[in-house]
Amino acid sequence: MIRFCRYWRFILIAVFSLTDIGHSQTTFVARKDRLLAVVSQEPHKDFFIITAKLGSGVDVPQALSMLDSLTRDESIGGMFYAYGLIGAYLYNRHLLPDSLHRKIRRAYRERKMVRGDTENHWVMYYTGLYLAAQTWPNEDGTQWFNGKSSAENFKEAEAWLNFWIKLTATKGQGEFDSPTYFITFVTPILILHDFAQDPVMKKKAQMMLDYLFADFAAEHLRGNYGGGHSRDYPQDIIYPLGALSTKWAWLYFGEPDFEPWSEARGQSRHRSWETVFGAVSSYRLPEIIRQIATDRSAPYVHTETKRVRNVIRFGEQKNPPVYKYTYMTSDYVLGSLHGGILQPIQQHTWDVTFVSDKPNNTLFTLHPFYSGKELAMFFPEEQKVVSDEVNRFHLVYTDPNKWNSSSPYEQTFQHKNALIVLYNIDQNAKHSHLDGFFPKTLDERVEDASGWIFCKAGKTYIAFFPLKKYEWIEEAINWRWRSHELINGVIVEIGAEADYGAFAEFKKRFQQVKVENQNFDTNLTVKYTTQDGAVIQFTYGGQRLLNGKPVDFASYKAFNGPFLQSETGSGVLKMTYKNHTRILDFNKIAIEEKTN
Amino acid sequence: MKSHTDQKLTLKNLLIFGVTEMERTQKFLKKFFPRGFLIRVEYLMLLLIFVNPLTARQSGKVCIAVLFNSTKSNVAGADRYVGVFIREKDEAEWQSISNTNLFSFGISISQHGATQRYYIAGGNGLHRSSDGGKTWKIITSWQTMEVLSVALDPADSTVIYVATPYGIFKSTDDGKSWIEKMRGFKTWYTDEVIIDRRDRRTLYVAAEDDLYRSTDGAESWSALNVGASGMRTVVQHPTNFNIFLIGTEDHGVRVTWDNGKSWKAGAGMPATAIYAIHASADGKEIYAGGFRSGVWRSEDFGQSWQQIWAAPEIEAIYSLMVDPLEANHVMVGTNGKGIYESFDKGRTWKQAGLEGAHVKQIVFYPF
Repeated sequence: MIRFCRYWRFILIAVFSLTDIGHSQTTFVARKDRLLAVVSQEPHKDFFIITAKLGSGVDVPQALSMLDSLTRDESIGGMFYAYGLIGAYLYNRHLLPDSLHRKIRRAYRERKMVRGDTENHWVMYYTGLYLAAQTWPNEDGTQWFNGKSSAENFKEAEAWLNFWIKLTATKGQGEFDSPTYFITFVTPILILHDFAQDPVMKKKAQMMLDYLFADFAAEHLRGNYGGGHSRDYPQDIIYPLGALSTKWAWLYFGEPDFEPWSEARGQSRHRSWETVFGAVSSYRLPEIIRQIATDRSAPYVHTETKRVRNVIRFGEQKNPPVYKYTYMTSDYVLGSLHGGILQPIQQHTWDVTFVSDKPNNTLFTLHPFYSGKELAMFFPEEQKVVSDEVNRFHLVYTDPNKWNSSSPYEQTFQHKNALIVLYNIDQNAKHSHLDGFFPKTLDERVEDASGWIFCKAGKTYIAFFPLKKYEWIEEAINWRWRSHELINGVIVEIGAEADYGAFAEFKKRFQQVKVENQNFDTNLTVKYTTQDGAVIQFTYGGQRLLNGKPVDFASYKAFNGPFLQSETGSGVLKMTYKNHTRILDFNKIAIEEKTN
Repeated sequence: MKSHTDQKLTLKNLLIFGVTEMERTQKFLKKFFPRGFLIRVEYLMLLLIFVNPLTARQSGKVCIAVLFNSTKSNVAGADRYVGVFIREKDEAEWQSISNTNLFSFGISISQHGATQRYYIAGGNGLHRSSDGGKTWKIITSWQTMEVLSVALDPADSTVIYVATPYGIFKSTDDGKSWIEKMRGFKTWYTDEVIIDRRDRRTLYVAAEDDLYRSTDGAESWSALNVGASGMRTVVQHPTNFNIFLIGTEDHGVRVTWDNGKSWKAGAGMPATAIYAIHASADGKEIYAGGFRSGVWRSEDFGQSWQQIWAAPEIEAIYSLMVDPLEANHVMVGTNGKGIYESFDKGRTWKQAGLEGAHVKQIVFYPF
């Protein structure tokens, strides 16, 4: 017996190593340990680096000094602070001196915790408030920054978190599938999962983590967050592997196969280390989600219904639906949102993102729209001045060369690996041109006499057909495709080396293809036959026809694909991988697992 | 500019409001009482003012400016000027009396028993202070988001109305609970709510599609068919209560002289965005300002308008206030240029502090 006890760790490891789950968790442990080792050496001062240092026992005095400094710095506050501070406190409280306990408590009395105005702001704010109120119960309003008692703060935070969880499980997120803002949902929910004392809230947090990671997994390709995005920053849009979500993919999915912070990959935006909370959390990703994220052995169509963030004016619905279509292969992911203004400022409507060992592994077009009225749809500021306000924080909003934009004059129709994007730009629009991002890291970019532009990126082949004349503008890392026609559009079809063999064969096949758009300027209609024989016809502002039959967005589910299934409004998400299923039932707050 | 509650000039208020109010009342009392009596009253008042720290804080006329930076500035300290600032009479400096990152859209002040209360309509909700701004409590919950305007029932301080981008909410229990009151609205964005000076159960709301009126304490609403969209502010004339003026997004000022039955555009003013309107206490002069508009004045109850200050350096005028006791004194709050004031009814202007601030509302207190 004594001998068994002495060797039980080795026995357990041996047992686990015989199973996929054991293997994946072992590698997860290795990655999280590696992450903590790396981050604990970081010199910067934030709650995640402090947690890594304290968790690893590296530079503990320095970490305590950093934390002390963050509690005293009155220039910082807000919702990022509200959740980061409580997370750092709860993960490390056993290591903190009494003085820091007091200072951290005092921060929730004296610091200004702005709630903000976006979905991710509120998740961070209310998670922080929930855990802080739980940590310091039975205190009156004089002890809190907002004058409310612990009980009032807890009740309010609990109510909103329950509201958000239910809304997300039934209607999807408003800030959906954002490679940047994904972290601002996952990270606070991780600490909610780890420290909520209420077992129901803890369970909900676990289910929300499963939900968020599953949502990511279905559109994940080797570290890239594929498909259309509600929001993202230009630098991440043009370099998908530079997005913050890549670190989470690495930690939980085991992809990409290099460390995302590697300087060798030319990445510059990996100074943010929220993943540390994942590394120290007790949450473990269900193996089925990792499998969904990484098995690209067969191509698949995945559709989703999300919702527009709160529309406060100039709309008939507060949260109109967003329809997403994503086609996933082992080489590339082509994804699109149905078009129009679905999010202000940072929308990314469509792209093809391909597996590559080079940066800027994506290609897309957009209309660089901006208007005060667009912003006034979502923000209460005066619409004639709000564009300048937004420019202060999102520096490119009015920039004609920006790489993120929602436009009321852009619509899409996708079928598998083919996409039609049409534009009907108002002549009074502030910017009236289209731009396309063609990275210089493409292996080839060829303008064919047939009108097609062919690109090769590793094993991915891209056929791009502009409906109107265009020009090229050379920039540092890309060629900017630009077209000035107001009634405009492109047709895109993607192929792979496995389907066509040599790139020359791919080009040859498309040289025979004819796009039917003879009266496009008057009927705004394009008809196109894909390489696999599907006929897709799209009228801007009108019908989307697939082989003559209308595509009905109303039939879209919350999730619909081989891996994820959820009826909109049901509150139930079913994950499937081979003979395994995992069902998140947000009505019963229950997780059901089956193996057939 | 957002609404505030008028205060009756009672002796109780007089004692609390401070010296300026005392001076104002002195003229009235002189008609009826001998000089010696008045001096005794003044001494009594001053004693009460300086004994009571709250009162002492507010001795003298004060200007209160409500500042807004942007809801997209999330980090405290990102801007010096966010929250509520107060300037005592004859003082040059403005002092913050609220959280530095309280994104504020409007303010109301009420008397609740012996306590004076500030209400701030802000991004985090409706904030209330009962101690002159030393401490604040948010009295709304998550359902009542981004409060843009607050109106307080003048007869019952436990009844509060707020306008938000998600509609009108009402509390009848001093802010403990809030109920959405949107029956009759066609859209949900509301910018401002005011209470009729004649009837506290009659309210007006500047909404996105029209001006709405309720005659039953917000239980139901009807559109007044102004004939323009984008209501930015609504003002009831201080002496002729059938006159209402509206600032609109693209149609300048709209005015009614018949209590909302018919509306017309203010003559002489181009179709521009008007964010702020205010009238002198006697109602003889009405001022308006908005987006790249400069300052406009009407001396015929809003029928015709003349630009009195082009203000080319100011992109937008968010707020505007005429000193209720000195009609020559006019202040405007701008987006990013702080406050300007005039002491000659708008003929000349000078910068009056808070440079760089976005000033959503200015009030004089006492009103």
